[in-house]
Amino acid sequence: MLHEKSAHGLTVAAANATARAGGVHPGQRFSDARACLPDLIAEEIDREADARALNLLARWMTGFSPLVALDDLDGLRLETTGCDHLFGGESAMAARLSERLTRTGYGHRIALASTPGAAQALARHAAQEGAPQILPQGAEREGLAGLPVQALRLSPEAITLLRRFGLTRIGQLYGIDRKALARRFQSRHAADAVCLRLDQALGLRIEPMTPLRPPPEYFSRLACPEPLTQAAGLEAGLQQLVETLCAALSDKGAGARRFVFSAFHSDGQVSAATAQAARPVRTPEHILRLFREKIETVDPGFGIDLLLLEAQRTGPMEMGSRPLSGDLAGTAVDETALSALADRINARLGEGTVSLTLSEARHAPDKAERCVVFTGELPRTGPALPAREAPRPARMLAWPERVDVIAQVPDGPPLSFVWRRVVRRVVRSDGPERISPEWWLFLPGKDAGATPLPRTRDYYRIEDAEGRRYWVYRDGLYDDGRGQLPEWFVQGLFA
Amino acid sequence: MDIATLKMKGLLGPLTAAPEAPAGFPFGLGAVGLHEVAETAYGDRAAATGFVLAATRPAQAGAWLWVSQTRFADDLGQVPEAALRHMQGQPPPRLSVKVRTLPDALWVIEEAVVSGAVSLVIAEVEAADFTATRRLTLASGRHGVPVILLMPQTREGATAAATRWRIHPRPSAPNRYDPQAPGHPRWRAVLERCRTAPNAAGTVFDLEWNDETLSLGVVSGLAAGPAAPRPVAREAPSRRKAG
Repeated sequence: MLHEKSAHGLTVAAANATARAGGVHPGQRFSDARACLPDLIAEEIDREADARALNLLARWMTGFSPLVALDDLDGLRLETTGCDHLFGGESAMAARLSERLTRTGYGHRIALASTPGAAQALARHAAQEGAPQILPQGAEREGLAGLPVQALRLSPEAITLLRRFGLTRIGQLYGIDRKALARRFQSRHAADAVCLRLDQALGLRIEPMTPLRPPPEYFSRLACPEPLTQAAGLEAGLQQLVETLCAALSDKGAGARRFVFSAFHSDGQVSAATAQAARPVRTPEHILRLFREKIETVDPGFGIDLLLLEAQRTGPMEMGSRPLSGDLAGTAVDETALSALADRINARLGEGTVSLTLSEARHAPDKAERCVVFTGELPRTGPALPAREAPRPARMLAWPERVDVIAQVPDGPPLSFVWRRVVRRVVRSDGPERISPEWWLFLPGKDAGATPLPRTRDYYRIEDAEGRRYWVYRDGLYDDGRGQLPEWFVQGLFA
Repeated sequence: MDIATLKMKGLLGPLTAAPEAPAGFPFGLGAVGLHEVAETAYGDRAAATGFVLAATRPAQAGAWLWVSQTRFADDLGQVPEAALRHMQGQPPPRLSVKVRTLPDALWVIEEAVVSGAVSLVIAEVEAADFTATRRLTLASGRHGVPVILLMPQTREGATAAATRWRIHPRPSAPNRYDPQAPGHPRWRAVLERCRTAPNAAGTVFDLEWNDETLSLGVVSGLAAGPAAPRPVAREAPSRRKAG
């Protein structure tokens, strides 16, 4: 028996068959249960672990159908339309599901019907362990007539009220005048809820389903007659899946930027590997190369009996004809090949390893360039830059480094400075190049005072006695009224 | 395993680079094959970068891949687009990859060369043994993508690269308009090893980069800095006295 804390103290949250036979039922006070069965074994319920386990089970269920939704705290709902023929019919599918669940040690009750409401009612109130209930299409009315009204997913108040009217079976609700029923309820909502649930169960009103994961547009699956235990078999299976999927993608003229490969283990586990591409692709060799590094993480373990490959983030793929010669190409760069290279590097070293530096029309040298992740597209046009730029260093340090400087006050170039613990005597210098802060970004009003206006910088190009050339700046002027004295920094190294 | 078996298996080929490698400066740097450019002392990385950007004229247009190990990118910064514009005129599109370890860096270089998607690979790596340079040379020759390795001052030992340069900055040229200001940058480039022209190994090039004509010229090793006034009229009287 499992207990949990509630408003009324400790109550029974769940009880096994032996305890139920002894008179213990969920919702009972813990002390009452103890009184019924003095040698009751009790433990606190762990709802979070239950939810996690249910989610894992739901993920594993995607091997049976791509659309899986959670149903309350202890149920799963599968949309099997179009899936049952893969298993040889509905009853065969239910039997197989039941067998697999039994093998992994899950107690379960399975029902299959044309509407979610009917299936849920049957599963929770009619089905028995190991005996799946299957309701043929159009038989909801007769099939549900004998079930108690609790099967309709109503609030406890509504059930109490219905029971007071003597309506205990769903079948009794069929013939009742709805207006008369609504009048007997206190609120209109409660009456509407009863009608809604009834209609949903009978298929008169549609009930939307919220799957855990969006259904993939393109997927291919490979059921293994014998569980796979070798990594080589896994690779062969993946190759077959990729080829099928790519054929399906090219039929529609589409490509995908993300591929998820799932292996469903026979013990209820799912392992997955993901490969991403910078632009939509559908070349089997390329996708296989992306997976080559990842597939090692999938451990066959006790055996894998289903492989699934999904294509996500699909999009149209432009298939321009290849230019016959380099002169006819708009650009000398083959972006497809370049993004294929970037995909492989990202697949091995992590997403976002390949980056691109973009120039921006900004004055501040540390804002003039921006590093972005390469997404398969090279910039077509850069910003409007001045025809003749001021000299910029061959290397920009990762961040400006503060240096101790001997310089003429107030605005002379440095005479000597200490950078990285070495004194450097300045022989020649050029400057200053004064770069003012971008005051228009710091106008009062919007979020004044959030970041203070940076100080004006005076940049000098200097050369030391050994011939090394540096780009140093003084952060601030002596008479700018900003409080502290200006400081000196090295920002770059000239060639 | 004897030499003949190794040769038969293609593991040991003739170590001369492709015949089209030019036998004059810059000995195919950035145009064909694998080349190494090393610092003379710590802090010469900017000069080495400048030398590479100045001397490299890729044979075909296309994107560049700049691979750098994180430690170099953090310590010595990276090459901004502005510098590429400054030294290459029309800079090619450039992808950057930062990797932490040397094996990853070498893997990225080889992958890029083999893919043929880029026209030049420049890599800042801490070291590369003979096997690695041999692999990269073979891949580069087979796929026609030149590779330049920018290496620290500790670079020594055997290599299969076509050339190894050692770069050191020198006092810049006199500035015509302002004697107090640095002028055109100058470097001393020592050709330590050269497979295409073994006789040229050991040659010292004193180079000056003209940022207006984007050209690299050889200057006299002596004419560094402004001409100093000749020390005169100090020793003459004393000599006369002695006589």
